[in-house]
Amino acid sequence: MIRTCFDEMYDGAGQVRPHYREFARWLAQTPPELLAQRRREADLLFHRAGITFTLYGDEQDTERLIPFDIIPRSIPLSEWQIVERGCIQRVKALNLFLADLYHEQRIIKAGIIPAEQVLANEQYQLAMQGLDLHRNLYSHISGIDLVRDGDGTYYVLEDNLRTPSGVSYMLEDRKMMMRLFPELFAAQRIAPIDHYPSLLLDTLKSASPIDNPCVVVLTPGRFNSAFFEHAFLAREMGVELVEGADLFVRDDHVFMRTTDGPKAVDVIYRRLDDAFLDPLAFNPDSMLGVPGLLAAYRCGNVVLANAIGTGVADDKSVYPFVTEMIRFYLDEEPILKNVPTFQCRKPDELSHVLANLPHLVVKETQGSGGYGMLVGPASSAAEIEAFRARVKAKPHAYIAQPTLCLSTCPTFVDNGIAPRHIDLRPFVLSGKETRVVPGGLTRVALREGSLVVNSSQGGGTKDTWVVED
Amino acid sequence: MRLSISHETTYHYEDPVRASIQYLRLTPHDSERQQVISWQLDLPRPVRAQVDPFGNILHVLTLDEPHDAIVIRARGQVDIDELREAEHEGQSAFPFLRCTRLTEPDEALRGFADQHCQQRRDRNALIDLMHALNQSMVYTPGATEVDTCAAQAFAGGAGVCQDHTHAFLACARSLGIPARYVSGYLYSEDSTHLTSHAWAEAWLEDAWYSFDVTNQMARPQRHLKLAVGLDYLDACPVRGMRRGGGHEQMHAKVLVMPTPVIEVQQQ
Repeated sequence: MIRTCFDEMYDGAGQVRPHYREFARWLAQTPPELLAQRRREADLLFHRAGITFTLYGDEQDTERLIPFDIIPRSIPLSEWQIVERGCIQRVKALNLFLADLYHEQRIIKAGIIPAEQVLANEQYQLAMQGLDLHRNLYSHISGIDLVRDGDGTYYVLEDNLRTPSGVSYMLEDRKMMMRLFPELFAAQRIAPIDHYPSLLLDTLKSASPIDNPCVVVLTPGRFNSAFFEHAFLAREMGVELVEGADLFVRDDHVFMRTTDGPKAVDVIYRRLDDAFLDPLAFNPDSMLGVPGLLAAYRCGNVVLANAIGTGVADDKSVYPFVTEMIRFYLDEEPILKNVPTFQCRKPDELSHVLANLPHLVVKETQGSGGYGMLVGPASSAAEIEAFRARVKAKPHAYIAQPTLCLSTCPTFVDNGIAPRHIDLRPFVLSGKETRVVPGGLTRVALREGSLVVNSSQGGGTKDTWVVED
Repeated sequence: MRLSISHETTYHYEDPVRASIQYLRLTPHDSERQQVISWQLDLPRPVRAQVDPFGNILHVLTLDEPHDAIVIRARGQVDIDELREAEHEGQSAFPFLRCTRLTEPDEALRGFADQHCQQRRDRNALIDLMHALNQSMVYTPGATEVDTCAAQAFAGGAGVCQDHTHAFLACARSLGIPARYVSGYLYSEDSTHLTSHAWAEAWLEDAWYSFDVTNQMARPQRHLKLAVGLDYLDACPVRGMRRGGGHEQMHAKVLVMPTPVIEVQQQ
């Protein structure tokens, strides 16, 4: 991997890239005090709107603003079209994989993925075996995390097929930019994204075989870190936001309690993990789900978006097989690359990983949110040794990848503007067709040199622009 | 041999229950060992049978009207091939390698499994394990609760059939052998008494073999299977939730009626 990072705005010679020229011109012409004032306005407006996220790991979990940076991450349309096709291809293959895994298991019989890798996987849900879903869709809403290496090549860092979040920040960031800097949107053609909620509603409705189905958003409640997004999306789509206690199952059908009496529910956009969905089938201590929901689901009387059991396909130990899935199910070459991945459950790969820890990023196969991982080059010798012991104790629970030099984008920092590492999460909606809203959520690691962009660990966001060439 | 069974469970509540929902696994299905001649489940409301993720027959009972008692009656006749020791199934056994909260092995259980099985992964190894667990965990009703996990029960050296089974599962899976929880009935040697019971099955040489730790039986000689799962929570006869009701009292009556089977003599 190349050691110098790709900068989104400046090329190797320090010149502004063509798709950033309009923005660069505007930035040069705008007085710093005006910029500072608008940035303060943004903070105030975000606070007022309650666009917050819970940061774990402090002494108490604190609700904070997710820092928003006004310098956009810009992508030329021609480049975006390739990324878009690549994401659609990937999600199509992953949905075909899930349908296959829970039915004939052809990919296992063909010897491409070892049976034990998926069938003994904790995320493999027996409840889905043999269950036929409408349109064979499992992940209706997918978030594909992309990064760029030193030569500008896009790599898929990870797939998110369970309850991917962040789209509300994408939408609010754009609204904020248009409100604060309307002149930027007049100067060039930036692809709109505000139709996401109606695309989402369309996708959720098409997930059901029923005509004009009743759709609800199921949230764990106000204390969940992404509650803002659950409420936001329900409001934007014009559907009810419910908690588990608002729903009940009778005779294998799901109903919502309303002031007009029980109302049948057909599609649940659930932002609850599988384990919490039904206390009679999964975690018995969960107060967040609906007793009897699994029975109703297996009878085909309600659609869950996303389906139960998608976690086996976005598991980090299955990630290395995704490019093979694209070839196997679609007979196409993958458009987007996987990051080369070492699977510690394989003895020869494990010894390579243990011998090279200072140069690798090591992740738990069941981890998320940037927790439980080692970033070799940024760790002390003591941290590396401690992690070595963990990997040796449970090798099958870890994968490792070379450190990528994530691309950077100029960002406002304490002393002015400086490059900070970013990633990109496009949101892919799978319904009658598979569609992607242009751009996605760009997350930025605000600490200098940090490669961890997750909002739960203090990252921020930027508006993402797909600019016509 | 043919068994004729009647199993009546009554739940009494000190206050009216506003609403309740139960997952019931009280109906056996046909298998290589068991042929269901007839089976009826009498419930407060008519309920359609479903199949759950483990292939068990499931009834979901939802009661929306206030009630202070629930009576569930299961009865039927099952032919059991007592000589059959192993059961084959088309489904993959890999999912039964995973551990659940109730069956997570700790160092003590792992060590115990290693000590009694060493490098062996065959039926004899598991029979030794079964006997050893029976010795280490004295059958003691009341020593554990329904949510006691295998490690806790093993550490306490006592438990009931549920704990014996969970401990066996934790050990077997730690050795890389798929194993599952079985809920059903155990009948007495003279077939006049029947009790609810739990035991384990392990996947060896492409078939499921029985291991009843409580009774130290490595063959399902007196066992009638109702349901299987990863642990008690997946296979238990009744799992439900209710709103209201206060204190709950449960009474169960299990009867087996003698049913002589006339054997047709070959001339």
